[in-house]
Amino acid sequence: MRRALPLLIGLLAASSCLSSGARADDTLSFPVLVPLTGFLSLEGTSQRNGAVLALKQTPAGVAIASEVVDTGTSPEAAVTALERAAGRGTVGAVAASMLGTQMLAMLPLAQELKLPLVTVSGTASITEQGNPWVFRFFPGDAVTKAAHARYVVEELGKRQPAVIYQTTAYGQSGKTHLDAAFKALGVTPVFEEGVDPAAKDLLPVLTKALAAKPDVLVLHLHSGPTALLLRQAASSGVAVPIVAGSAMHQPSTAALLEPAELKGVCAETAASPISGDTAEVKAFTEAYRAAFGKEPDAFALGQYDGMTMVLEAVKAGARSPDAIAKALSAESFKGLAMTYKSDGKGNMAHSAVIVCYDGASRVPALVKRYDDPTLAVK
Amino acid sequence: MAALQLLVNGVALGAAYALVALGFVLVLNATSAVNFAQGDLVMAGGLLAVALAPLIPLPGIALLPVVLALMAGLGLLLALAAYLPLRRRPPVSVFISTIAIGIILQNGAAILFGPEPRAAPPLFGDATLYIGGLAVPEQSLAIVGVAALLIGLQQWVFARTQLGRRLRATAQDPEMARACGVPVTAMILVTFAIGAACAGAAGLLLANRYFVTPTAGGDLILKAYIAVTIGGWGSVPGAVVGALLIALFEVGVSSVLSYPMALGALYLTLLAILVLRPQGLFGEAVRRRG
Repeated sequence: MRRALPLLIGLLAASSCLSSGARADDTLSFPVLVPLTGFLSLEGTSQRNGAVLALKQTPAGVAIASEVVDTGTSPEAAVTALERAAGRGTVGAVAASMLGTQMLAMLPLAQELKLPLVTVSGTASITEQGNPWVFRFFPGDAVTKAAHARYVVEELGKRQPAVIYQTTAYGQSGKTHLDAAFKALGVTPVFEEGVDPAAKDLLPVLTKALAAKPDVLVLHLHSGPTALLLRQAASSGVAVPIVAGSAMHQPSTAALLEPAELKGVCAETAASPISGDTAEVKAFTEAYRAAFGKEPDAFALGQYDGMTMVLEAVKAGARSPDAIAKALSAESFKGLAMTYKSDGKGNMAHSAVIVCYDGASRVPALVKRYDDPTLAVK
Repeated sequence: MAALQLLVNGVALGAAYALVALGFVLVLNATSAVNFAQGDLVMAGGLLAVALAPLIPLPGIALLPVVLALMAGLGLLLALAAYLPLRRRPPVSVFISTIAIGIILQNGAAILFGPEPRAAPPLFGDATLYIGGLAVPEQSLAIVGVAALLIGLQQWVFARTQLGRRLRATAQDPEMARACGVPVTAMILVTFAIGAACAGAAGLLLANRYFVTPTAGGDLILKAYIAVTIGGWGSVPGAVVGALLIALFEVGVSSVLSYPMALGALYLTLLAILVLRPQGLFGEAVRRRG
């Protein structure tokens, strides 16, 4: 009996190790590595929520695991998080930070580890590195700004825009693409000025823009500055129409303003889940509200669509990161926001929408959809 | 008229900045320590007002005493956690510890409130008064009024009360003050409490018109630092004037140039002041003997 007891314990331990090993082998892991703190925490939280919601849809017969890691805003933290995640079981794909500098840092490691990165990052260069492991489920500025400019020129009939943009990388990129899109449409802005995100009062730039006699104000600002400028425009009785950047579609931006201050304001975005144009989008919005107690935005929906496409690939039999990457590269997927298809570089999203507020509520209406808007302006 | 409108906005912004700079310079005077968490305390004050608004459904001015009291408590905690244990260490220790506290405040706020921008309730109302074609938001008038009142009150306490005399003695020479029977440690705690209360008031004033996010403090501490440098390192009136100058650059100069150029002009002005008058506009020149 004395001999048998250690043997029994040893056998039990070995079988326990084997079963856990088997579980580890069968389980596909989908780490969510996004910025939850720092200056991109608003967008990063939406990204996290979208990924988490999608990962609740476990495919039949496949065990999946996921952990959320806050990457902050430093590239080093993102790389460390990816390294750690890769060391924990079989990773199917990674929901990766929307912060461009973090993505650029993670890309070589993803290539080395052969892990697909699924992101909603808007930074153009992440899909210009020749890296086959990146998949972007959010339209870049080339797409959204083409739609932005086309709505201003073709739908509103305006030809003298005043462009106010942020001095950040986000703002500069948007401004560059707006310039190109307006040029392609034969329009030259009558005023252009960059504003630092730390600027507390936007009346000076608004005053100068109006002095240039524009027939439309085109904004490409972050959330807080967008709300601030709209509030100051409303209190100054600005009569020209305003078409803002995607920050305006975020429910948290609209929440800062009275509905009357939003009257007639439009914005470009990839999608507006709270506008709920289909039953599926309405169901997503309800599920998001129930899970997180807040309203979803286009970043959440883009990441949700991205991870759902990954899980669809798993359902179809992809059991390794390589197989998932191949499916993402080759297949077309009808998501809630749009239909996604890689352009060969990992750009999956090629549509944008325009939403407008009626002054009675903070929920905008979808007024125009652009599929491949860049093709029309070239 | 447009210039007048910009001036109104600039003065309102400057008044709120002055409170930020004032809290900063008070702690600096009392402890020779730079409190890098001051901007994050402003953010905390703004978010505190956001949190209190549903509990006390009254205009923001009714929240002011509560915000001041709670922020004073936070200032005491800051002193106990980040200053007193390190007071005999090199000054860089306190710099780092206040930066650490600031990061903790930022991330704590992000966890508690989420990352969305928020707006605190207006101090009195959110109407806009039209005075001869000039649009003056009630909130702007309230910001100037409340900031002036708080700055005046603070000056009165410092100049006319026993507590103020003890605080000034501690700021000028802690060892001598201690030798004269002044409870120096208590005075330092009170200074941190007043500094945090000033920051909280600024947060309440700014968060309605300009919104507040957990990361909003970083820019404010830089502005407070510049204001204090322009005004004179350690000068209370200098901090107020420095804050007004920054706001006028931000609003006035940017309306003529662009915002990035106005920032450039501000830094060039700062450089010129440092070269021509290193002690700042209101600072006293100190010369070594021998």
